Amino acid sequence: MMRAALAILKKDLRMEFRSKESILAMWIFSLLIFVIFNFTFEVSRLVMLEIAPGLLWVAFVFSGMFGLNQSFALEKENGNLRAMALMPVDGGQIYVGKFLSVTLIMLMFEALIFPIFIIFYDLQLSLEMLKLIPVILAGTIGFTSLGTILSAVAVHTRNQQILLSMLLWPLVSPIIIWSVTLTGMVVSGEVTPAFYPLLLRVGAFDVIFFTLSYMLFDFILED
Amino acid sequence: MRSTIDKSLLIILLIAFLGCMFLIFSWVPPIKASNAAEQIAQRIFYFHVPSAWLGFLAFFVVFCSSVAYLSTRNRKWELISVASAEIGVLFISLVLITGPIWAKPVWGIWWTWDTRLTSSLVLWLIYVAYLMLRRYLPDGSKRANLSAVVGIIGFIDVPIVYYSIRWWETQHPKAVMASGDGSLAAPMFFVFMFSLATFTLLYVYLMRKRYQLLVLEDLVNKQFKEMEIL
Repeated sequence: MMRAALAILKKDLRMEFRSKESILAMWIFSLLIFVIFNFTFEVSRLVMLEIAPGLLWVAFVFSGMFGLNQSFALEKENGNLRAMALMPVDGGQIYVGKFLSVTLIMLMFEALIFPIFIIFYDLQLSLEMLKLIPVILAGTIGFTSLGTILSAVAVHTRNQQILLSMLLWPLVSPIIIWSVTLTGMVVSGEVTPAFYPLLLRVGAFDVIFFTLSYMLFDFILED
Repeated sequence: MRSTIDKSLLIILLIAFLGCMFLIFSWVPPIKASNAAEQIAQRIFYFHVPSAWLGFLAFFVVFCSSVAYLSTRNRKWELISVASAEIGVLFISLVLITGPIWAKPVWGIWWTWDTRLTSSLVLWLIYVAYLMLRRYLPDGSKRANLSAVVGIIGFIDVPIVYYSIRWWETQHPKAVMASGDGSLAAPMFFVFMFSLATFTLLYVYLMRKRYQLLVLEDLVNKQFKEMEIL
């Protein structure tokens, strides 16, 4: 049923593993963000710990933009976007394929940058940290579910990159706000009872954004 | 027929706005406030809140006409959503301008990252992006489709944004927002409703005018194309 989606996913992942273009660029870019933040806000270690969750998400989101931009720019470059639109399958499938590849690539990049984050900010490793996995997963899915459809919108414009940021950031701000709050709870070791309901809420909005994008994607491919 | 409706609308609007000015600046008694600056500043409320209401109304119209466009593919709906988005951005801009003007004498600061302020700003950004998107795309059915999709996602996102920032705010001590005067006194309520009605009428008028202009633009473009073919 989802064969087209899986084919797109496989193609994107194969391309990524051969060139390692996105993951590497995102990783280096995140590193730069950490370094630049260190220069621009010379703060004590205690304050640093407080802003670390926000910084982590800034790195994720800024670098994620690169992956999102890349995802459809590559398709357009080689005229593949039109070919996709002509495929005799539901547009939703193309959305699912693209969403999965963008999300997986972003998750891989996040897994690679997280150790660096821990080293730079001297976070204590503990079992509690495992709670970050669902947080990062939920936050990333929210970001990419909206990001994938908006990237497909922005790719048709001249100023693709800036327009994607302009469209995506205000829309995805709730997910980012919640993800930062949740990450902060885990990093500071203060997981309150509000943690799980909030995590559930992020999950619920992931589902809303995903479903909405899935339903609307057909209109984007149309000429 | 159309021009008579527009003309009478304009005349009604002129009278209503003059009435508004009289009611707001001279008729309605000032609020009980500690200083005169606050009493004067409070009158901006009658412009500020109706503008916000108009912004929301306009964006709701964008949402409805975007849905209507995607289901009917009628160019009319596309033009209505553009016109409404432009007017909405205009009025939310007014909200963002009148707000700080009031806040400075009353709160002592121009801006604070409070729920309402932040979500209004995000709302403004969403629809500015919508208008930018249209600007960057060439005219045609592609543009209509893409902007309709953004118009729909944008409006569904609005309550989520508000909700998320409110949740986040409760993490912090309640700031300056608590200085509201609670319920409105009867004359104030009357003036407020009058202002609200006037602003809504203004929306109707602006929508009609902008829509007519867009139709004319279409017509001109079409004739240019025909000339090029010749």
